[in-house]
Amino acid sequence: MMDLTWYLLGALSCAIVYGLYELSQKQRLNWLDWTGLILGAVLILFAIAWSVGAVLEGVPRAGSMGMLLFGLPGIVLTTLSLRFILARKEKVS
Amino acid sequence: MIEEKENKNTSEKTNETSDVPDGSKRTFLKFGLAGAGAAAATATGVTILKRMEGIPHDDFPLHMDDTYKPIDQRNVILTFAHSKKLNEKHPERIEKFNNFHFYERYKQFLRQPYRTDPGYTQLDRALQVGGFSGVFEQVPDGIDGTDSGVFSWKQEMLAKEKYRFSSKEEAVLAIKSAARLFGAVRCGITKHDRRWDYDPMYDPVKGDKELSWEKDFPFVPKTVIVFMVEMDYHTVGTAPAWTADGTVGNGYSDAAKLSGQMAIFLRQLGFKAVASMNDLGVNAAYAVASGLGEGGRNGSVITPHYGPRVRISKVYTEFDFVEYDKARTFGVASFCKNCKRCADSCPSKAISFEDATMGPTYSDDPEYTWNAAQGILKFHNDAKKCYQFWCDNDSGCSNCIAACPYNKPDFWHHRLVDAQNVMAPGPMHSFMREMDILFGYGKVSDPEKVKNFWQTGNLI
Repeated sequence: MMDLTWYLLGALSCAIVYGLYELSQKQRLNWLDWTGLILGAVLILFAIAWSVGAVLEGVPRAGSMGMLLFGLPGIVLTTLSLRFILARKEKVS
Repeated sequence: MIEEKENKNTSEKTNETSDVPDGSKRTFLKFGLAGAGAAAATATGVTILKRMEGIPHDDFPLHMDDTYKPIDQRNVILTFAHSKKLNEKHPERIEKFNNFHFYERYKQFLRQPYRTDPGYTQLDRALQVGGFSGVFEQVPDGIDGTDSGVFSWKQEMLAKEKYRFSSKEEAVLAIKSAARLFGAVRCGITKHDRRWDYDPMYDPVKGDKELSWEKDFPFVPKTVIVFMVEMDYHTVGTAPAWTADGTVGNGYSDAAKLSGQMAIFLRQLGFKAVASMNDLGVNAAYAVASGLGEGGRNGSVITPHYGPRVRISKVYTEFDFVEYDKARTFGVASFCKNCKRCADSCPSKAISFEDATMGPTYSDDPEYTWNAAQGILKFHNDAKKCYQFWCDNDSGCSNCIAACPYNKPDFWHHRLVDAQNVMAPGPMHSFMREMDILFGYGKVSDPEKVKNFWQTGNLI
């Protein structure tokens, strides 16, 4: 099961890298945008891997805590970064 | 006009040429920074990996002074509890410990009636006894047996011709390969060291007799090979229920089988060897000396990846054409100093909350501390209290193993935490302890874990 998780996370990582590339082509990103997006994506991927591992080893509470402590900041960081990028785009247009 | 155009071209060219070096510099700086970052990350990674393998030591890594003496096996709690003669000889030991009669209580072990609460039913008792049955099949005198069954001192099946390894490295690899095949998850090889032997040895089962290394042991040992077998994570988690003893007994059975097979392996190579588990010498000291782990607060050896969730056995042999393993430290002492989860979870309060000391601090009365080692810097626990709880519980305990933050299954995120723990300073260890609790690890006396254990059949 963990092997399948690593495979899916690999596919997800590729999708994220491609998404970031596409975004950078359409919109000029500054270092703060890059940091926020990359850190957010890494935290989300980490949270998924942690939580699946924790559930598989029979400690679901560790999985929930992983989602809370790593996944939530990841989502917040990614959302904020995208919001800032979109707001800048609207301002320019 | 033409002049103007040429001037314009020249000025554009000048601008272009002045731009190019600036861009190159920036690109160079970016690549330089990225390269430096990658190099720093690689160096940090290599340092962490090296540190996780442990820092090698030429000598035994614990401080010792002149007051240290090899342990008299008559003063080992389990040996004392097995012996009616020793109990009669030392009534003061019983009196000093609230008139707790070690031998009488030992005789009543596994006699309590089945209960209905999870972990104490006939099902759990069956698991416990089934787990231990393997060791009793192989060692008729039981887990503390000396010169019995596969731990026999008779050199049967000794090949006449001695096998010659081409190098010490080859010998080490062959021994460890055989150990892996026979069930070891860790194997270390160290020089025989009289400091870690019981002296005198004592057999409480066959005639209550002292045994001498010079007169009774069949050869002069030169090397001690130490093995670790894993206990099951899910079963240990049920501690202190009878269920947990299922994996303790199974661990003993596996460890006895393994060391018995390794003794035969060495004898078939033409070298005298005797298998041992709780007899002959101190397992923990030999395990530390052979680089398998570090002594933890709970008195167990904490070994990377498994923590204290292992059983140890060993083989004494005359074979010495080997490259000995060095003792290694993994940052366990520092972690244990701050963590204390085992001490919190100990139902009999046998585990010390204090820092490592050269002798016991729970009492300064020699008639009470008769079983304690002196002159070695470690966490000194009161093993009598631990044994008393076993008798009350009618089973082993294992709370200190289950609660230990090093006791984790082999999942990637725990290796990540291990890496963090070896590098982090003391206050971080306290933080990690709190995180361990918050994430739900190491809970003991939890009936849910017993129920969960009885669902693990779904995993196969």
